[in-house]
Amino acid sequence: MKLKRVLCVLMAAVMVAGTAACGGGGDDKSGTAGDNNTTEDDKAGEDSTGEDNAEEPSGDGEDGADDTQTEEPADDGGSADGQVLKVAAVETAYGADMWNEICEAFEASHDGLTVELTIDKKLEDIITQQMKSGEYPDVILRAVGAESGLTETFVKDNNLVEMTDVLAMTVPGESTTVGDKILPGFVENSITNPYGDGKTYLMPMFYGPCGLFYNQGLFTEKGWTVPETWDQMWELGEKAKAEGIALFTYPTAGYFDAFLYALMHEAMGNDKFQEALRYGEGVWDTPEAQQVFDIIEKLASYTEPTTPANANDNDFQKNQQLILDNKALFMPNGNWVIGEMAEAPRAEGFEWGFTALPAVTEGGERASYSFFEQIWMPAGAENQDLGKEFIAYLYSDEAASIFAKSGAIQPIQGMTDKLDGDNKLYYSIYDTGAVAVMDAFATTDPVEGITVRSTFLDPVNSLVTGDKTKDDWVNQIKADSEQLRAALKE
Amino acid sequence: MAGGQCPSAILKYGDEEMKKKRRSGFIIACTAPAIILFIIFMIVPTIDVFRMSLYKWGGYTAEKTFVGLENFQKLAKNPKFFQAFQNSVLLIVIVTLVTFALALIFAAILSREKIKGQNFFRVVFYIPNILSVVVISAIFSAIYDPNQGLLNSFLQLFRGGKDPILWLGSPKIVIYSVVITMVWQAIGYYMVMYMASMANVPESLYESASLEGAGRIKQFFSITLPLVWTNIRTTLTFFIISTINMSFTIVKAMTSGGPDGASNVFLSYMYQEAYTNSSYGYGMAIGVTVFIFSFALAGILNAVTKRDEIEF
Repeated sequence: MKLKRVLCVLMAAVMVAGTAACGGGGDDKSGTAGDNNTTEDDKAGEDSTGEDNAEEPSGDGEDGADDTQTEEPADDGGSADGQVLKVAAVETAYGADMWNEICEAFEASHDGLTVELTIDKKLEDIITQQMKSGEYPDVILRAVGAESGLTETFVKDNNLVEMTDVLAMTVPGESTTVGDKILPGFVENSITNPYGDGKTYLMPMFYGPCGLFYNQGLFTEKGWTVPETWDQMWELGEKAKAEGIALFTYPTAGYFDAFLYALMHEAMGNDKFQEALRYGEGVWDTPEAQQVFDIIEKLASYTEPTTPANANDNDFQKNQQLILDNKALFMPNGNWVIGEMAEAPRAEGFEWGFTALPAVTEGGERASYSFFEQIWMPAGAENQDLGKEFIAYLYSDEAASIFAKSGAIQPIQGMTDKLDGDNKLYYSIYDTGAVAVMDAFATTDPVEGITVRSTFLDPVNSLVTGDKTKDDWVNQIKADSEQLRAALKE
Repeated sequence: MAGGQCPSAILKYGDEEMKKKRRSGFIIACTAPAIILFIIFMIVPTIDVFRMSLYKWGGYTAEKTFVGLENFQKLAKNPKFFQAFQNSVLLIVIVTLVTFALALIFAAILSREKIKGQNFFRVVFYIPNILSVVVISAIFSAIYDPNQGLLNSFLQLFRGGKDPILWLGSPKIVIYSVVITMVWQAIGYYMVMYMASMANVPESLYESASLEGAGRIKQFFSITLPLVWTNIRTTLTFFIISTINMSFTIVKAMTSGGPDGASNVFLSYMYQEAYTNSSYGYGMAIGVTVFIFSFALAGILNAVTKRDEIEF
């Protein structure tokens, strides 16, 4: 009797313990699955009681929820016994190989250091759950403007490690400082210094000029010249229309961000542009801002009419295809489009052409937005010193050449001289007089229900279909700007 | 499940003299794992959603600010949320009505009539249900393509060379394009469910009805429909839940909520706010609203469709 009772209790206890272990995510295999279902409060405690050891080799992409307990701070001497640096990077068109190579090279320069790399096209899907349970990568490469808004969320939450001291660090193995090596402008803009206090939080990585892409072959064939002013653009629009070609298309409305910034800079000048980025009062009523809206409204009327139907993440390549098929002349894009459309069929004699935006007035400024990715450290990073050292290393000639092999170009002194072929065409755009624009709308505390994309960019689709007028759009911008201004970070 | 093995293991020891008290002790001990799992994975997260809706929180930091019902107040003033709400309600109503009617008719035809290739039709109707949403979206993106799409090419026969219809590009039309996709996707599933319960209706009822002179349509409304009513009630709840869920995945894969937010539904808007606008708490407030709305709707439907059960 007694024995039986004890047995039963024991068995029940074993089962309860078993389920608790399953749910707890303490072991590395079921860890991530468990994480998906519970909340961070229940999990935080149990995770840290996991029995993982720090030496566990990392998997390819999924690195599970290992607790890598590292106690020693990094020393600059190049030895980091048993330390594990967790690097998370989004996989873009440049591929994953260069990151593997970089991590190996950095490991080689530090004794006993393991760099645990998480690289994935959907990086957020992997790291978000871990971060919710308090496990942050040390270094993250993810640009602002991504759909997930991962970087923006960290910025808005003041959840970043300050990087200003990295600028003063000497590039490992070289004599210059990081700050001196980065091209001017790239660490003095509202993206890298999101709080407007002169402190850098995001470090610029791979960059690429954005502008208008077109088929150079078609222009040569028809004897057209690439317009230098918007007036010439409209003239060309009429000519093209007579031939059954639309003047303009765009992949998705999101691609208007770079376009809008460049156009605003052209039309408004830098001071008003900066004011607009901070949602300045009355700035949208100025004649300069109205000019921007007028140009976009007119451009909408010249846009290939089926564009909005494909302007989503699923079908945007069909819009890009319009350029390849000579059905539209220009589209706003970045140089990644060439790789993206490499396999696509194209009209005979097709040749990529790339230009900055036409000037608003004859002889006026022509601007090209410089898109760049950012690398940063979340405030929850464990190995902050080592992480900073890693970031400094990324600006070394050694690292830059590894990246450049995959076509990823960093804003580093002397880098453009080393380029050849197509790349030279794109990166030399600023040598031919185009102004580089790098800022973005100022960071605010989260404003529920309002995003830059839904306020400023998405309505372009409705302008093209005629479901909204310019005034509807501008009124929405004005109303939302007021709320955003009130939420500006000080 | 771990909980299932317990009773059989215990029974080996024989339970003749086991007292009631101990029995209930066992039951508690044995069901405990399942109950604990249920609490951890169902109850706690649900309560947490309700709790989080009262906070302003970006999603990653430890810092959460309690804001009371502020998120709900903002929600009530947000036209974009109402647009998403409208779209969801529209989908629930139209998709449910159309799918329900078609599934019921097809089920009745396939189970009562003698048609060649019955099994073939059954499979064909069910296939969309096996396909993943991404595949379905790709299929319908191709069908809706303004230039080379099946639909516009076909309509061109009647409309001539007018401007193509932008099935996924016009804010006014896009939600109906989603409706068509969802109906196509759901019909097979419900049809099979109705067929299963129609197969249980005794043949003798139909025989006597036809002897009495009842036609096929009369038989359907007087015999089939009342006898599968319980099943229909259950599926109505399914309709609500699955429309809310499926509309999210389909919208996400097919239109990304566009153009200009015109195809946003409950959950895509919630996702947008919670995960891309750093407003996790606000997103959870949307979640709570959806939760209450769907519960209430299911409750109302259940009450309205209540009939005395007919047995055969």
